[in-house]
Amino acid sequence: MAEKKGILKTGFMEAFPLAIAIATYGFSYGVLATQANFSLVAATAMSLLVFSGSVQMVTVAMLTAGATSASVLFTAVLLNLRNLLYGAALAEGLAPAKKWRWLLAFGVSDEPFVLGSSRFKKYGPDPLYFGIVVGTFYLAWAFSSFIGASLGNQIDPLKWGLDLAFPVTFIALLVPGLKEKSVIATALTAAGIAVGLEYLLPGNQFTIIITGVLSPLVGLYLKRRAQNAF
Amino acid sequence: MLSNWLLIGALSVFTYLSRIIGLEIMAGRELSPTLRLYFNYVPVGIISALIMKQILVPTGGQIAISFPILIGCLATAITIKIINAFLPSVVIGVVLGLLARYFLVG
Repeated sequence: MAEKKGILKTGFMEAFPLAIAIATYGFSYGVLATQANFSLVAATAMSLLVFSGSVQMVTVAMLTAGATSASVLFTAVLLNLRNLLYGAALAEGLAPAKKWRWLLAFGVSDEPFVLGSSRFKKYGPDPLYFGIVVGTFYLAWAFSSFIGASLGNQIDPLKWGLDLAFPVTFIALLVPGLKEKSVIATALTAAGIAVGLEYLLPGNQFTIIITGVLSPLVGLYLKRRAQNAF
Repeated sequence: MLSNWLLIGALSVFTYLSRIIGLEIMAGRELSPTLRLYFNYVPVGIISALIMKQILVPTGGQIAISFPILIGCLATAITIKIINAFLPSVVIGVVLGLLARYFLVG
């Protein structure tokens, strides 16, 4: 029992700083979702049901830019492919949870993966820890998107520059990650392909999907080349 | 409105499937490191494309650069590099973008 309490406490303490960061994204998502004409209920329901920062942010951005549901879905599938990796890597650490794995699976995403996998590496399988981390993030994400969507519904978007919030939010998500050469090259290639496609076919539907499929190849190539050099 | 709900439903199912499939089926299998690396770069590519799409505004069959958005983006990029804080960087970008819009247009 004492051990369980310890895990609860550790899980919460380690999740808390990230939960604050997640809440700021959640808030931005909520505001932006209202720009995509999502009602308060729909915006919050999306956070409760999908629970994925990247999928939700990209969805509302694409809808605001006039994308069709089909292209949003395709892009979401592409974004979700990395969950396969996270799930595979976390499977062993979550195995003792037995049937509860179906619930814990809901939390397989970027941040829980980082915390969970480093915990499992040090202490072995620990579904309870993972559950606490995911629960903390879930509450932060759902609550902050609700607040963001409530405020976003009440203010005049153009007057407050909320249309500017989209690109600016994405810049703030992108820039801190631009450290490795392969990542920077992927971003630059993506920007180049996107500009080219928009120049050829202004406002077309396929820019995001084509860029999302092609640009990672550059990062992959550079990373591989660097690895082979050793 | 209905299509929004359908989309939310479909996204929920797809996203959950990607999580449970990884956990239940991919577990114990060695995934090609190449594929693993490729997936890592997908979000960066998509986010960059989204940013460019916002900066370039289609007007009458051509594209034009939106300078307020470009200025806002540059301001946020520089700010987050220096102070490394998400929300303040977003606010600074929006404020400078608004100022740019005000002075460039009006």
